[in-house]
Parts: sequence; structure tokens; C-alpha cells
Amino acid sequence: MKRRIRISILAGILLITSFQMLHAQDSTVTASYENTPFLKFIEDLEAKTAFHFYFKSSDLDSFRVTARADAIALPDLLAMVFRGTAYQFSIDAEKNVYITKGQPIQTTLPEDFFKTGMTDVAGTRPVVPVTETTSKARIRTSDENRLFEIGNKGAGSGKEKVTLSGYFRDLKSGEPISGAAIYVDSLSLSVLSDQYGYYALTLPRGRHQLQISSIGMKNERRQLMLYSEGRLNIELTEYIPSLKEVVVVAERNSNTRALTMGTTRLSIKTIKQVPVVFGEADVLKVVLTLPGVTSVGEATTGFNVRGGSTDQNLILFNDATIYNPSHLFGFFSAFNPDVVKSVELYKSAIPEKYGGRLSSVLDVTTKEGNSKKFSGSAGIGPLTSKLELEGPIIKDKTTFVASARSSYSDWLLKKIPNSSYSNSSASFYDADLHITHAANAKNTVYLNAYISSDRFRLNNDTSYRYGNKSFNGKWKHNFNSRFFGIVTVGTDHYDYRVSSEQNPVNAYKLSFSIQQYNGRADFTFTPSSKHAFRFGLSSTLYQLHPGNLDPVGSQSLVFPDQVPHEQGLESAVYLGDQYSVSDRFSINAGLRYSVFNNRGPQTTYIYADGLPRDKTTLIDSVSYKKGSVVKTYANPEIRVGLRYSLSDNASVKISYNTLRQYIHSLSNTNAISPTDVWKLSDTYIRPQEGEQWSLGFYQNFQSNTIETSLEVYYKRIKHYLDYKSGAKLIMNHYIETDIINSEGRGYGAELLIKKTSGKLNGWISYTYSRIELHSADPLAGESINEGRYYPANYDKPHSANFLGNYKFSHRYSLSFGVTYSTGRPITLPIALFDLGGSQRVLYSDRNQYRIPDYFRADLSFMIEGNHKVNQKTHNSWSFGAYNLTGRKNPYSIYFIEENGKIKGYKLSIFGSVIPFVTYNIRF
Amino acid sequence: MLPYLLVIGFALYGCKQVYEPPAIKATHNYLVVEGIINGTNDSRTEIRLSRTRNLTDTFLVQAELGARITIQGKNGSSYLLQEAANGLYATDHLALDQNGLYRLEIVTADGTRFSSQYVPVKQTPPVDSLTWTQDKDVSIYVATHDPGNKSIYYQWDFEETFEYTATYKTILGVKDGLIFFRDTTNQIYTCWKTEHSTDLNLASSLNLSEDRISHHQVQVIPQNSDKIGIRYSILVRQYALTEEAYRYFQVLQKNTQQLGTLFDAQPSQLKSNIINESNTSEPVIGYVSAATIQNKRLFIENGNLSNWLPLPNEQFCKQEIIPQDPDNFLIYKNPDTSFAPWYFVTAGSGIVINKRSCLDCTLKGGVNQRPSYW
Repeated sequence: MKRRIRISILAGILLITSFQMLHAQDSTVTASYENTPFLKFIEDLEAKTAFHFYFKSSDLDSFRVTARADAIALPDLLAMVFRGTAYQFSIDAEKNVYITKGQPIQTTLPEDFFKTGMTDVAGTRPVVPVTETTSKARIRTSDENRLFEIGNKGAGSGKEKVTLSGYFRDLKSGEPISGAAIYVDSLSLSVLSDQYGYYALTLPRGRHQLQISSIGMKNERRQLMLYSEGRLNIELTEYIPSLKEVVVVAERNSNTRALTMGTTRLSIKTIKQVPVVFGEADVLKVVLTLPGVTSVGEATTGFNVRGGSTDQNLILFNDATIYNPSHLFGFFSAFNPDVVKSVELYKSAIPEKYGGRLSSVLDVTTKEGNSKKFSGSAGIGPLTSKLELEGPIIKDKTTFVASARSSYSDWLLKKIPNSSYSNSSASFYDADLHITHAANAKNTVYLNAYISSDRFRLNNDTSYRYGNKSFNGKWKHNFNSRFFGIVTVGTDHYDYRVSSEQNPVNAYKLSFSIQQYNGRADFTFTPSSKHAFRFGLSSTLYQLHPGNLDPVGSQSLVFPDQVPHEQGLESAVYLGDQYSVSDRFSINAGLRYSVFNNRGPQTTYIYADGLPRDKTTLIDSVSYKKGSVVKTYANPEIRVGLRYSLSDNASVKISYNTLRQYIHSLSNTNAISPTDVWKLSDTYIRPQEGEQWSLGFYQNFQSNTIETSLEVYYKRIKHYLDYKSGAKLIMNHYIETDIINSEGRGYGAELLIKKTSGKLNGWISYTYSRIELHSADPLAGESINEGRYYPANYDKPHSANFLGNYKFSHRYSLSFGVTYSTGRPITLPIALFDLGGSQRVLYSDRNQYRIPDYFRADLSFMIEGNHKVNQKTHNSWSFGAYNLTGRKNPYSIYFIEENGKIKGYKLSIFGSVIPFVTYNIRF
Repeated sequence: MLPYLLVIGFALYGCKQVYEPPAIKATHNYLVVEGIINGTNDSRTEIRLSRTRNLTDTFLVQAELGARITIQGKNGSSYLLQEAANGLYATDHLALDQNGLYRLEIVTADGTRFSSQYVPVKQTPPVDSLTWTQDKDVSIYVATHDPGNKSIYYQWDFEETFEYTATYKTILGVKDGLIFFRDTTNQIYTCWKTEHSTDLNLASSLNLSEDRISHHQVQVIPQNSDKIGIRYSILVRQYALTEEAYRYFQVLQKNTQQLGTLFDAQPSQLKSNIINESNTSEPVIGYVSAATIQNKRLFIENGNLSNWLPLPNEQFCKQEIIPQDPDNFLIYKNPDTSFAPWYFVTAGSGIVINKRSCLDCTLKGGVNQRPSYW
């Protein structure tokens, strides 16, 4: 296997050298051959071109040629003719063509034959031209077949390794491409480009063939002759036929080769292909179809990763922390799909660069903008309108992308047959701007700004507003091709405001905000192909205003109240190394040391020793001055991952992670609610600690077109926050008296089978996962379910997803998705009693029962317009139905007293089949 | 170069359905204690005992009979409550130390002993005002304040009484087949009906700059309700609660009255201050408090309302004439007991009867005696 590959590379190189000469003169052939005897064919070619042919006539006299050539280069034509036969051909510099059966003739010595003797790469074995290379599509022939000479020819010799680096860009828009993979098959080497499209690869000097692949882009190869350290920028073109596939086309091999486990990358193309209910591509909705990711229900905000709560996900939008990632009760995610480039979710091996949340990191990155010309898009939907513009400010140097989106969704609420919604109003907007300035080859500066805002008023009474604001600047500096660093400074803001003015005496407004200032420096150093070191430091200053309650109007008797502001500084240093011990075995090891200081001014209440924390046991308070440290927590965090390749198509990975979380949301509800308060760790609220072991097995079949993976994990959570009965979380000065310090344990298995190509493609995933909590707090004064383990609100043991796409032809395709999950736990009423003149309900133990299972099937049928690449607009239609079976999936079950009687209700958000029609125009 | 997206049509249907939880087979037979120790001396303290019942049970109340309830002071004092009907235990003879601590001890008929924690006697400030406003519906508001800033947590319940009449007035009645003439002691045309509050009503001044509750709604009477067909009265009782009792009732109220919107909290457990001494893990429902009780009464006349047109009590009154008996025309012979005599007709020599529901207001649950305060 290996040998063949190596030979192909050589052959490719050889062919390219020939090509370069051919380009100098007219060497194309236009002719038609119909069952032509080979000798006639050769005669014709010799007449039409300057080539001379040498062959053994006994080998070829019975061979007949059928071919049609329309300005085809001679080698292409020959390759076409000989495809599938035993015949081989070689062309030398004198335009002599040698045709042989079996072994081809070698026409030149290797380039560095006289310098290095017999190198491993440019060997002396007979050379076989590869027919594939020449028969590939024409568009990019020049780059694919060019030999790139990199570095200084006289720089040195021998086998020593040098570093090749550069950027991946989209040929059309000039956008950087992240996550593109380069493989050097002969060396079993692979690297991925980072979010800026940058890659660095350490190779021996000499000739190499690089295989390049990236989601949604055409696979390419590059021939290069590496003399010394240098740069190779690679421009990729869109893989046009894949537009009609509704499938994640991952890099082949990448699931067995990639070192990190439990990482999923989705391109915006993939995201846009998954049908969603309002026809607007949605980042979070697609993330929810991945194994190990669940939510408590439809139209809820936030997601749960491997049994983590919704506040345990670090959601980054170009490195800005987004505290509330949703608009409009979760119907939309806060990221405008028009500017998103890719989404990456880390759920088991979380790189040491990230910290501060226990369960996952969701890294959303945006495009950098078209560097060649101005372009844009606009959309009008039933609920929102949006506009996106991008282009160069200084051509090939400075680009921008800007987008804005706004809603008019009130009518939707009117449709919900529940007066508390139909008497409500809601709207949102978001806008963002990204500027990239490539000052020179070594320095690039990025600026990102983002704002989002939501408003809604429920039942004509209480109105809510919340929003995220972020701004950051990044400077990327390449010290040399092996070493680069990124310095980021920025600020993130989240706030909400609730107000009610119905009763003038109680009219109030309540506000909450988080302001954080971030600074970080991240470095990557790749001394050799064996090591890739990452190190850096980061610091985040938090300023929380946990609650301000103010009266509204002169009649209001509301006493202005302010929960004391909180300040905290979270700092970390980290060092990690990706060490390839051998072709088969590699280690990814990292250490992160994080320190958190809760800082003054602050008043800490002191409670009687050993007694439940309660207002009755509050005995004293201590005041801390501004800037003084109230409490410090410091913890090392370990991130280790191992990969061992069992074969070319199979690997085993193991990872172990410990994480710390210093900021927590206080939430009694299932989903992220706009009134959730975030709280910093302090004297009483200890950092949440997480620990996770994962083991994964990856196997690909049928030339890597079928990928399978099985991952199992076990995790433990310490100092999880649960709440006492009737806990008040808003405007609580004594929050420590309402919290029960709990422990959690989670375990599960995730199975994924993915078919990446073919007429029928798609994936099927199954996840088994459990997350259970128990009260472990002697100072709480009460324990839930008497201290036994109970399932968390979002514990959903079984979940399965299927997404399939069948292409009837290039114009028609059908996609079908099915989602199933166990109903989430619920605390059910078990008995009735009378008190206060009413019949009332006694509830069961916490989360003892479950709501009915969730099941949904979606179907969509896509019709594409014609496939001419160069037309001005591309049209497509898609028809479909969401919730095909019309199942009334319960969003929630609740019990309410009506006229002195207890009634149970099941609320479904989408209670029937929802048909949709979408018309797309691309320009 | 991005897709230009236009969704042409779709539909959205939300859906709320009645959900009948799966039958829960195990019996949940827990003690429920309701009532407050009345700190105003020599006024009535009532404690009601009952048992929880399963969701599928059809009977309405499962009273706990034959128990022995005592109010015990930390100073050693003890008061026994007398059992009245239907699980109600009461006494009129308490003399509590207003600074003392008291608890409830219950020994059920099977000998199980329950006891509450000791609770202080909260001093309830007087009700400042009880007012009403009409905006289609009539809303009734209470206001109070505690100059000592000690009450903070409040609970109210009420007793509302209203006057109503039967559709037609009759002075005739039937006893043993004989017709008799009614007088004011047994008239059945005007009745007074008393109903009790069916919701827990709580408020707190915790986040206000003074201990004041202003304009707190205690009751709403829907427009055209026959409760204010003639005259209406409400007696509001006010209790000051401890923080713990307030929390307990707040959770109880949340669990049943406030669940259901997207952002409401999950039901949480109730932690009573009463335990079964022999099985402390068994849930007991209710929270024992002690407080002085303040009352205020309000009257509303129909004439003071605008646009208030109660529907007739009975819309299908059907009358018939029974022929006069030649022997004794005072004997009422109609076999259909859903009818009652209305008046005599002299012209046709007979008795006009009508549906009882059109003549007898007591059938609707009222009493025919004017309350003393009316």
C-alpha cells in the first residue's frame, strides 16, 4: 500500500516537469477516434504534435482506441486512453514518449540525485505517471501540477527537517479556511489549519506531495521541492457538486487521525443544509444533533453536553464569551448564520487553552470577508430580515464583514393558543463587524464587535430585555514559520433588565449585568514534526452587578435595593505539547494552572460554626476593602489525550481532563432563562470541579467513506449548585443560605456511524448518558431526596439521531431526519390534600418520573436549478415538513390550580406537521 | 455569495392538552394539619386534620377523626382542643403568653404522635383599610402597616357573604302534605350565603423601605356575578407570619398556582415544621404558626356598581296549576317533588306550583336567616 503511494508521488512529480515544458508550445490534440487501431492512432498523434513515440508493437498491435479529444493535452489524452489497461507511458524532455506494458520507463534522474544520493523521497525506482492526475478537472491544473520550489536552493542538504507554513484561503473570496487538512501520506503526517487558516508543517528537505482536503472544498494536491524553511499559501476552490448534499463531509481519515477526541467541527455549509423550522440556518440547532448534546426541549435556550448543565458550556464567538446564545425563547441562536464560518465543539478533550467551564467549549468563528471584491447578501424571512456585507477595504490587505439582523416576530406569539403568549410581544436584533488587516506577512490584526438585544413582554405586564455586547482586538505575529503568537484583548458584556409598571405602588425595574475584561496571549511553537508546543496565559476580570432593584415612578414604594457588586479575577497559564511518538502513537498533554481571586469591596456574612447556613445562624459580617482578596482558589487542571493507530483505518484514543468553573448561573428552571443570575465563586460558593475520562474507538470502512466511532466517558462534578425548596435566586443578599452544595456523576457512551459520500449519505448516532446529583452539604439544613442520587433535570438516558440524504440526481435530492430521546425527568404530583380552601398537590421525590419520550421526523426535498457554474444566480427550492408524524412532543408538563381543582397540562410547542417551502437565491 | 433566503410559507401551532398523570398505585396517606394558633386570647382557635388522598381517589375529604390535639407552651402550659365534626378541633379558651413559644402535639386515633416545632406568637398589625374598585370586575384590596417593622410577612384569608333571592316569592310551604304559610323565620325568598377563600394569599414588605402593604388584592368578583346582586360583604382576616411559615406557604402556592410558564421554577419539596415522631422521614403537610388575628369587614351594594346585571337565578321556571281538592284544598297533592306551591288562584280554583329551584333560595346553599352583622 505504502509503496504504491510513494511511486505515485514520484510519477506525479515527473509528469509535472514534463508539463512545464509542454506549456511552452502547442501540444494539444483535437481529434476523434472510433475503434482506431493503435498504430493508426500513433501515426495521427505524431502528425498532429511534435512528439515521437517508442513502443514494442507486439505489445500494442491488438489495442484499439476509442476517444474524443477536444484540445486535450497529449499526456491527458494518453492517460485517458490507457486508463484501466496495463500500459504505461513516460515522456522525456525531448518529447519522446515511451509506452510499455507493466513497468514504465524512467526518463530522468531525480532532481537531487547528484546532491543527496538516493533519498527516501526521490528514489530511483521506476516511475509511473499517474493517470488520475492528468484527468482531473481543469480549473486548477496549473497549481496542482506545478512544482513549487520553496526556500533557498543552496541552503543546505541532507535529511534535516525544515518547516513549511502558510495560509489556506478560498480562491474566490480570499477567506481563510480553518480546519483544512494537509496529509503527507509518505510520512504519515497530517496537520490542520487553525482558525486563521494558518498551518505549519515540519518536513524533511526534498520533494513532497501534499494532499489537501477541507470540508466543502475540492481536494487538491501540491507538489513541492523543499530546500529550506518557507511559505506556501494554498488557495482552494469550492467543491460545487457538494452543494446538493445534506451531509457533513468530514475530512477523510480525520476522525481516526485527529489527535483530539470528542471534537466536532461543522462548517456553515453543513449547518445551512440541515432543515430547520423557520427556514433560517441555526448554529445551535445543528449542534444539538451531535452525539452527546441534548436540550431540555424545543424552543429552549442552551444545551447540555454529556450531562453538563447549560451554564457549563463556554460559548465563544470569535473569542468573545456569549452568556445568552439565543434570541426569542431559543427559536433563534444569537449568531447570524451569514457571517459564521465554522463551529467547533469540544466535549471530551478540551484543549488546555480553554478553561472556566466544565462541560464543553463551543467555538464559533466568523468569516474574514471577501478580500477580492465587495459582495453581500440579504434575506427576508417570515420572522426576520438580515443584511450582510463584506469586501476589501484595502485590496488583499484589509477586509471587513458586517451583518445585521432584526425581527418582527410579534405575530408568531399571537398564534400560540395561550393567552400568556398572545398578550405578549417580542423582538430582537443583532449586529456584528469584523475587520482583518494583514499588515505584512508576519503581522495580522483582527477587530471584532458584536451586539445582540432581545426584548419581550409577557402577558402585558412584565417586560424583559437582555443583550450581549462584545469587542475584541487580536494581533497575530509570526516570529518565524515555526513559531507564532496571538495576543487578544477584549471586553464582553451581558445584561438584562426586567420591569413591571402595572401596579404603581410596586412598579419596579430590576437589572443585572456582567462585564468582563479579557487579555490573553497564546503561542504555538512547532520545533519539528514530532512536537507542537502550545503555551500562553490569560486573565479575565469580572465585574458583576448581581441585581439592582429600583422603584419606577413617584408612587412606587419599592425600596431601592442592590445586591453588592462582585469582582473576580480569573488567571491561567498553560503549556501543552502534541508529541508524535511514532507514526502510530501520539500524546497530547497539557497543564493549565488557574487561579481565581474573589476581590473586594465585599461583605461576607459569617454563620455560626457547624450550623445550617440560615438567617437565624448569621452571627457576623466581615468587610473587605476595594482591591483586597476575599478568597483565592488555585487549581492545576490536567488535559491529557493519547492516540494509538491500530491500522490505517482504526485508532483508539483516551483522554483525561480536569476542569474548574468559577462563575455559575443560578437557575431553578430547566433552560437558560433571561432572568438567570450569574454568581462568582466566593467564600461559600466553591468553584465547580469537573473530571472526565473518555475512551474512544474509531474505525473507518470502505476507503474511509464510512466512519464509525464509539466513545465512552465517565465524569464527576463537585460543588454543583442545587437549591433549597422555594429558594429565591434574584435579589438575594444571602444566596449561600439557599444553595445546596451537590455532587454529580455522569457516564455514557456515544456511537456514531457516518457515511460521507455516495448517493446515500448521512449519519446515525446513538447516545446513552446519565447524569445524577446528590446533596452533599451538611450546612444546607435540608437535602433533596434525603441525600440520595437523583437524576438532574436534563438527564436523558437514550438519544438517537438519524440524518440521511439521498441524491436521485444532481438536481433532486431528499433528506430525512429522525430524532428520538428519552423524556426528561419530572417531579410528579402523587397525592392530593386540602389546605387554604383549595385542593392541593403533594409532589413526589425530585425528578422521580419522566415526561413522555421525544420523537420527531423531518423530511425535505430539494430541487436545484441547472448546474452551470458561471451563471449569475443559482436557484433552488426545498419543500419539506417538520415534525412529520405530527407528534405532540411535550415541551413541559405542569399542574395548575383552576377553580380549586388541580389540573395537569402538557404543553407542546409544535403540535402538528409544519410544512415549509423555501426558495433560495445565491448570487 | 450567500444564499438569499425566502421562506414562502409555513404554519405554527402550539398546543396545550390536558395531561392525566399515570395512576400512582402506592397509597400516600399523610397527615395534613391546617390552622393557626390564635394568639388573641379567648378567641377561637381551629385546627383541621385530614389525610392526603391519591390523585385517582374520588372522595373529596378524608378527615382525621378521633385525634387528641394539645397546644403546649415551652413554659409548660397545655391546652386541649375539643373535637368538633369532620376533623375539626377547636378551643375558645387560650391564654397565651405573647412572648412565649408554643407548639402543637397531635396524637392520632391509632396512637401515632406528631409534634411541631415551637413557634413564637406573632403580633399582627391592624388592617388599615379594606377597599374596592370597579373596572368591569370588582377588585378588593387590603392595606396594612406595622410601625414596629416586625411583621413583614403577611397572610390573608376571607369569608364572603352575599344576599340573593329566589326567582319568585312564595309564602307557601308544604309539611306532611299540608300547605302552611311561611313567616320571616322560615321564608325562602331571601338568602345569605357564605363562602371561604380558596387561595393562599401572601405578601411581604421585605423589600420595601417600611413595613407597609398597600393596595394588595385579596379578591376579584367577575362582572355581573350574582354575588353582588343585592348586597355583598367580605370579612378579611390578616395574619402575620414568621419567615419560615411564609416560605412554606409560598412554596405551596408556587407548586399549585404558579407553575406553567416557560420560566417558572420546578416544583420543590415542602418541609413542614411538624414531624411524625416515630417516622421522621414521613411527610407531614402543613405549617404550624401562632399569631394574633386582625379582621376587617367591607360591604358592597349592587346600587354602587355600574353595568352589573346578574343573570336570573333560574332561567327555566315552569309553572302548573293543580286542581283544587274539594275536601281540603290545603292538601298539596302533586307527586313531583321538584315542584312546590307558589300561590292560590281563586278564579280557577286551584294552586299554582312552580319549580322549587325558582322558589327556594336555600337550595343554592344559603341560609334564610339574616346574619347578625347584616
